[in-house]
Formats: sequence, C-alpha cells, structure tokens
Amino acid sequence: MKARRTLLVLALALVAAAGAAAALASSNGSSKQAATPQHGGSITIARQEDSQSFDKTNVFQNESIWLAEQIMEPLYTVTADGRSEKPWLATSYKLTNGGKTYTFTLRKGVKFSNGQPMTSADVKFSIDDARAQSKGWGYLDAAIKNITTPNPDTVVFNLKYKWAPFLADIALFANGIIPKNFAGQTRKAFYTHPIGTGPFMWDKRVVGQSVTFKKNPNYWQKGKPYLDSVTWTYVSDTNTRELQLRGNQIQVDEFPPFNSIQKLQNTQGVTMTLFPSTRTDYLEMNENYAPLADVHVRRAISYAIDRQGIIKSVLFGHGVAANSFLPPQVPYYYKNSGGLQFNIAQAKAELAKSKYPKGFKVEMQVGTQDEKSIGQIMQNELKPLGIDISFKQLDTATEFTNIQKLNYQLGFSYWTMDIADPDELVAFAIDPKGGGAHSFFTDYNNPKVIDLSHQAEKETVPAKRAALYAQIQKIAAQDAFMGFLFYSPFRYAYSSKLHGFFVYPLGNYHLEDAWLG
Amino acid sequence: MTLGQYVGRRLLQMIPVVFGVTVLVFFMIHLVPGDPARTVLGIQATPARVALVRHSWGLDKPLYVQYWKFMGRIAHGNLGDSLFYGVSAGHLVLERLPVTLWLIVLSTILAVAISVPLAAIAAVKADRPTDHVIRAVPLVGLGFPPFFLGIVLLLLFGLHFGRPFPVGGYGNGFFGHLRSMFLPALTVALVLTPILIRSLRASLLEVLESEYVTTARSKGLSEKRVLRKHALRNAVISMVSVLGVNIGFLVGGTLVIEQVFALPGIGQLMINSIFQRDFPVVQAVTLVFAIMVVLVYLFTDIAHALLDPRVRFD
Repeated sequence: MKARRTLLVLALALVAAAGAAAALASSNGSSKQAATPQHGGSITIARQEDSQSFDKTNVFQNESIWLAEQIMEPLYTVTADGRSEKPWLATSYKLTNGGKTYTFTLRKGVKFSNGQPMTSADVKFSIDDARAQSKGWGYLDAAIKNITTPNPDTVVFNLKYKWAPFLADIALFANGIIPKNFAGQTRKAFYTHPIGTGPFMWDKRVVGQSVTFKKNPNYWQKGKPYLDSVTWTYVSDTNTRELQLRGNQIQVDEFPPFNSIQKLQNTQGVTMTLFPSTRTDYLEMNENYAPLADVHVRRAISYAIDRQGIIKSVLFGHGVAANSFLPPQVPYYYKNSGGLQFNIAQAKAELAKSKYPKGFKVEMQVGTQDEKSIGQIMQNELKPLGIDISFKQLDTATEFTNIQKLNYQLGFSYWTMDIADPDELVAFAIDPKGGGAHSFFTDYNNPKVIDLSHQAEKETVPAKRAALYAQIQKIAAQDAFMGFLFYSPFRYAYSSKLHGFFVYPLGNYHLEDAWLG
Repeated sequence: MTLGQYVGRRLLQMIPVVFGVTVLVFFMIHLVPGDPARTVLGIQATPARVALVRHSWGLDKPLYVQYWKFMGRIAHGNLGDSLFYGVSAGHLVLERLPVTLWLIVLSTILAVAISVPLAAIAAVKADRPTDHVIRAVPLVGLGFPPFFLGIVLLLLFGLHFGRPFPVGGYGNGFFGHLRSMFLPALTVALVLTPILIRSLRASLLEVLESEYVTTARSKGLSEKRVLRKHALRNAVISMVSVLGVNIGFLVGGTLVIEQVFALPGIGQLMINSIFQRDFPVVQAVTLVFAIMVVLVYLFTDIAHALLDPRVRFD
C-alpha cells in the first residue's frame, strides 16, 4: 500500500510540475507583420491523413506528394494561377524537330542537399526511372522516346509523337530530380529519406505520427528558405486540430471542416484562407444501369440537382456550382460549356423524353456524411419526378472499390488536378480506353468526344487546342455523363504569424517562401 | 499449484485463444469488401495498375494460400509488411504499443486514485448527503461519450486555466509523455470511476458490517484504522475483478480516446488500418490486442489470489 501511495504522490507531483512548465512555456501574444521576411523558426502543419510514402514516382496520396515536393523539384513548375508552367531547375527549353524534340538548359549552380552538383545525368536518370514505373506515374511520360545528355547542362527529350501536355507532364512531381543511381543507395532505401534540390531536406520521421524536414543549406534560391524546419503531424480529429492551432501547438491546420470556417475567420491570431483549387465534385452515373444509359434520364438528374442548396448546406456557402467537368483553374476550361443547372421544369421535360417517363428506382451509395446530405437533397428533388432514390451506406474504402468496379448505380467522386493541363483529366473522364478508368467509372462512350480529345493531345497551337477543349466540354455537358456538382476551395487555417504561405490550385505549396513574423 | 505453474498453464491456454483470433480476423478482414490496392492507388486505380499492385502484394493468390503464408510468417515471428507504409507491421505495432500502455496504466492509476478515497468516504457516510453526492456526480463521466468529455477537457485545460496540458500529442521524454497523457488518461478514468466507486462502496458496506470489523472496533481501534487496515483490503478484492474486466474492455476502447487526443497508439493504428484495408497491420494489431486482454485477465486473477488467501491457484 505504501509503495502504491508513494507512486501516486510522485505521479501527481510530476503532473503538477509539468503543468507549471506548460504555463511558463505557453505564449499567445499577437505580433505585427514584419515588412520583410525573417529567417528562423519552425512550423508544424497538422493534417487529417498521415503520409504514406515519399517515392514520388509511385505514390498517389496528396499528403505524401505535397511533402515530397519540398525535397525533390522538377525542371519546370506550375505557376501560381495553376494554368501554366515556369522555369525551375531548367532555365529554358527549345522546341525543334516539328515539336518532337525538347532541349532543356539546366540552371547553373544547383546542388542536391548532399552537396553534389545537379547535372544532366541526374535528370536523365530521374525521368527514366519515373517513366519506368508501371504501377505509378510512368504512364504520363509515355510520349518520351528517349533522353540524351549532350553535355552536363543540357538535356534532350525526343518524343515518339507531338505531345501538347509535355511541359505540364515534365512539371509533375513524379518527374522531380534526384541524384543519379539514388546517390549510391537502393531505390527502397533512398525513398525512406530522399535527397533532392528542394528548399528542405530530410530530417526524421515517426511513421504514423510526424515527418520533419530541415532547411537545405545548399538551396539554389539564395537566402531561402526562411524557416529552419517544418514538421507535418497527423491529427485526424478536426476539433483537436483546431484547438491545437488556437493553442499555438501547430501553425497550420490543413482542411478544417466547412462548418468551422466562419468561426476560424473570426478567431484572433488565426488566418483562415480559402485558396482556389482544382477540386471538382461529381455525381457518378453508371451507364451499365439501364435507366442511366438514357441520356435524357441523365440530363433530367443533372437538371434536378439543386447545386446552390448543396453548397449552402454542405459547404456552408464556400463553393461554386460546377458547369463543366473541368474546373476553372485548369487551362482551357470553357466557362460557356453549358453544364446543366438546377431547373425542375427542364428536368421533367427531359424525363418525359426518356424511356422512363414515369421514373424508376435507383440506388445511391454514400460514404461520408456530406454525401448523405447531398443525396438527401437530391432525393427530395427527384421524388416528384418519380425517380426514387434509396441509399446504401458504406465505408469509404468499400464505396471507392464499388465505384471503380462499376458495382454501383449512383455514387460520388471528386478530382484534383496533378498537372496544369486538362489532358490527364480529359483522358481519364471521357475516354474509356485512354485513361483506363471506364470514363471516370461511368462507361460513358461518345466516339466524337474521344476523337476530339486525341486531337487536342497533339495540337500545340493554343488557340486551336482551346477550341477543341471547348467543344469537348460542350458535348460532355449536354451528354451529362456525370452530374457536375461544385468547385470547392482548399481550406487552410494558420497562425497569423505565418507569412508567405500560399497554396497552389493543384494543392502543392512552396514553403521556401514561408516565414514567421 | 505454485504461482509459477499457474502462470505457465495460463500462458499455454493463451495460445489457442490467440490462434483463434488470428484465424477469425484473417478471414473476416479479407472477406470485408474494399480493396487495399484501390485505396492506395486512389482515383487513378486503373484495372491494370490494380492488378500489378495486387500481384506484388500476393493478394491475387487464393485466400487459403495467403493464410498459409501468413501463418508461416507468424511462425518466424514476422507479421508481414504494412500495405500502406511498406514497413514491418510488427515494427509499427511495437512502436505504438508504449503509447497505448501509457494510456491504460495511467488511466488505471488515476481511476483507482480517485475511486478508493471517494468510495471509502461514501461508505463511511452511507446514506448521508456526502454519499449521495459521491455516487451521483461521477455518473457525469459515464453519461458523456468519451470523445465529448475529451474535447471538453482539452478546451478547459489545453486552452484555458494557464494551459497546463498540451492539446493532444504524445510529448517527448518521460515527463513530456506524462504531461501529454494526463488528460486522455483522466478522460478514461472519469468513465471508469463511477463503476469502481459503486463496486467498492458496496463491498465496503458489507465488510464494515462483518463480525471481524466489529471485533476490531471493540478492541478500541479508531474508525480510520479499521477502515484502512481491516476493511479496505477485503473490500478491494471485488473492485480488482471489476477493474480487470473494465481494463479488458478498455484495451479495445482506447480507439476513440487516441483519435481525440491525437495519440499515435495502436488503437489509432487499428482504425486507420481498417479503413485502408491494410490487412497485415489489422492482423498484427488484433493479435496484440488479444494478447493484452488475455494478460490483463491473467494479472487480475493473480492479484485476486494474492489479495485473498482463500483463492488458490488451480
């Protein structure tokens, strides 16, 4: 008994001591924004998911990709508006051979974080390795025939055919540059602590808990980065992330829920920013279910979606009704594509023209609470038309698998762009063979749109390409192969002491510009 | 039977239990719809890429072949690699086990530290206002869902009252862990406390009316001494059983607390692995949970026997 009592007293004393230390350590003073960036300090970014892997060539998870980009950089990178590319590790390129040869001049003085200079041999090795990854992003480099390196500062890409999205593909994170031969390590070992030319370098990782990168002293942008280190933690609970931000335990809360945006906007010491994104949410309609193969039925459903109602109740007003399957932040988005909008009279007229004028029963699979809410709004709108929606509640892994196996009738999905070019999404969404995804898992098949997309892939004159994509978007909108729901922003709440934090429409961020004031 | 023999026999009995759990979990998790390859590949999970990934993980083999391989690995002490992280599942679990053990041990200490004195006061002041208050107020802990209670405690002590505790996380070093684990452990303890108070109070009332306590009182011992030296030891036996059962449940119940307090324990690992269909990790975590529950019940029985000489190891 005595031993137990002593232990208890000791524990309580320690807790009290810890509490006192915490009280001393805590500081929540607000600071004025300094005029110029300041060096020093560290930040912590809390996310809803842990990073899976830093093998940029094979990972598809944003929470991994956005971190890997802090270490490994591409030859060109996406501009702040997400609509084009700008020079990064290369300073320029020349296009010859009828648009089939790209010759890049590499930036001088670029070193990897281990001090080794970056040369054309590293570039060739990196891209050759990326395009060889059949389980990963290699398919986006399919147009490359071979890569040559006439000298240490020049890289030549010979293409199999003219390929309009080439520069956008080269700017993909998977094509980030790493040291030749993985700096003497095995592939697996290298990607457990990768080396690159980026503003930050690997420090440490506790799997499932946190990842820390520290400042790269060899970074090619002199004077940057400003921060000494950045730590990403995994905090799945949204309330906990918000409390941690308010308590200055973290400096960035990634993706706070829509219902907390207004509160965070009014929280002292917190900056709540909605960055324009390429995220587009869709209602998936499987054309293997007979009623949904009827274009008039799909049009009726698209007309019956009260997008404003959904935006108001699910996004708390922080979104825009979608009118194309492409988002506005993508090049060649066509604002007059004519995506169907809420109109019950038109919905009734379309259904009357279909093979199911009296309606039909349809099952909608839902995973998240937001999807259930959207489904309920649609259920109310479609009921008067005779379209009777029943729900199938699933966990997200099962929901996702069902959609990809086309084992569903109505479902939900979304897309965020990986490159600043519509090609990746267009191929995925409207070409049942090209993207390998059964036209975004709907089995939509319109030969005219498919043909136009192939033309657009090889058309390098911007005006002509724009016309082709406008046509594709118009036809896809009239075919209503998916219900285009809404465009929503990337949501970040962060300490008002953090400056220069900017999220690109593709979701990535350049932390070399971030600093603490 | 000696204590050593008893423990040995119980540990041997554990083997079929744990084996049964592995069989059940292996087939259940593989029969649940949802494909880990599609989860990892995300929206770009084209059939060709899914097939490649499934092949590299051996998921394209018949289920009985996969099970045979799984058992073969277990026999060599290898729980396989996480499909999500690509690192050893056993390593992942071992890395997180201390967090969950911290939570269980500290919440047990706090629950006992709160319950024993309160139950003793309630028993001594039976049916008086103090007793009613002690029995009623802790019920708040039972009435609120643990995640809500956790958020309230975080709000109060993580953001206000001088911020004595961090808002989630595991902390660094012994004192850092202690400080970080206090609020989650208190949340769990507040849920356990009402059950323990009621159990101990009832036992104490029974013991306080027994003949040997009357003898102790007639010898002129003070009420405090009677309570501490004679009544509590006997009364606490039933509480140990109740505590043991609840800690057994607690092993599985740490999931929610770990989510709310951002604790990287095995409960959190379990939830994520189920959502990601990370089969090897789910199997590894379940195995560890099963072993922990069996061990908790073993320790409870040993404690019971040590406290009560009438109980024999057989």
